[in-house]
Amino acid sequence: MDLGLFIAASGMVASQTRQDQLSNDLANASTPGYKPDATPVHSFGEMLLDNTVTGQPIGSLSTGVSLGKTYTDMTPAGMQTTNEPLDFGIVGTGFFAVQTPQGVRYTRDGQFTTSQQGLLVDGAGDNVLAQSGAPITVGANGTVAAGSLGVFNVPTAVKQGENLFAGTATGQGQGTVRQGVLEESGVDPSTVMVEMISSLRSFQSGQQAIQAINQTLQAASSQVGSLNGNS
Amino acid sequence: MFEGMYAAAAGMSAQQQQLAAISNDLANSSTTGYKSERVGFRDLLYSEVNQAGTATTVGAGAAAEVLGRNQSQGAIQGTDNPLDLAIEGAGYFTVKRPNGSVALTRDGAFELNGRGQLTTSEGDLLDPPITLPAGVSPSDVTINSDGTVTAAGGRALGRITLVNVSSPDHLLADGGSLFSTTAASGPARALAGGAIHQSALEASNVNTSTEMVQLVDTQRSYQLESSAIQTENQMMSIANQLVS
Repeated sequence: MDLGLFIAASGMVASQTRQDQLSNDLANASTPGYKPDATPVHSFGEMLLDNTVTGQPIGSLSTGVSLGKTYTDMTPAGMQTTNEPLDFGIVGTGFFAVQTPQGVRYTRDGQFTTSQQGLLVDGAGDNVLAQSGAPITVGANGTVAAGSLGVFNVPTAVKQGENLFAGTATGQGQGTVRQGVLEESGVDPSTVMVEMISSLRSFQSGQQAIQAINQTLQAASSQVGSLNGNS
Repeated sequence: MFEGMYAAAAGMSAQQQQLAAISNDLANSSTTGYKSERVGFRDLLYSEVNQAGTATTVGAGAAAEVLGRNQSQGAIQGTDNPLDLAIEGAGYFTVKRPNGSVALTRDGAFELNGRGQLTTSEGDLLDPPITLPAGVSPSDVTINSDGTVTAAGGRALGRITLVNVSSPDHLLADGGSLFSTTAASGPARALAGGAIHQSALEASNVNTSTEMVQLVDTQRSYQLESSAIQTENQMMSIANQLVS
């Protein structure tokens, strides 16, 4: 009925979704190789307003906001030294590849362990692949040479959860593998805190706008056109 | 609607797992042969938010689990006790418990029992057993790097063999510095080329300063996630008060 209500509500929905993404980012502030998400906010198409008497266009009105496609910030993060023989990190761009039951998936998380068959696997038990696509055998002393892990370039990586990315590899990645380090989470807590305050305040502004429009509508429906003494 | 709150709550629960691992490590920072716990964090599945067909996704938080143990070598410290042994590199001693079951350990602080056999400080027999004949005191015994035990004068008393498993991270910790093999760890097999040092003990590989830094990090993440929950709560409260 009143366009203003829906415009304000679209803004509130956008703030709520942004807040949900920020909560997820904060929850993953310790996840190795985690990349934060952001969603661009677009304004809906504008609509033209006409003068109802003369029919002349008088300008345009934006009709609220909509959320775009979520994109993942793939900037490489810093390395954390753990001195654990089976921790690996990629310095630069590129992904490790693991063989899951659903096919080959890619990851930046290099926290690996040994399987019962003596192969290098990730935390879920999936084999880590060499550049050729074959599984990697762990040496008798429990270590693996950093050079034997494959680094793959995946330009269209999409986050899937469980530290995995889905996508198609287009050859070798440019990064180099280092042993005894893990890539830190890409989440910057101070930026996230500031964005949380920002989304809360814009949510609140939406509420104020809705309440103001509500009062306007109330006045319009009860007082406008009333005769003196009658309602 | 409440995805954000549950995501932050999942993150807090993951930090609690990390805290439990840190506490265990700090409590064992002086335990012979102790290996610190390795905690793995991962994110959870993403779902699409119902927003006019655009691909806006929101995650479900994080989860943590203990992946295994950090296998880096603990410092080898010399002692005055000729029955103290330290393993350099991979491998475990095999001991037999009183109930006959076999366990693996890195704790090489051995003693002699009433019958002159080498046992751990809990009384579990070294397997295969090494017996010192009457009249041979521990200070007369030499244990070489390959595990051969000889008394003064060159008399051979046996050999201490080291074993290893395919997947040490999947060994089950039984307490008392003992580990049992499981289906996931693979069976214990003799290790060729292990190195044993006599009159030395392997220190815990817990790095106290790293653990303290991690403790501060865990606390900070926990606090941040709690602010995320409070912000979500405030948003819900604002939404509830839209029409009063």
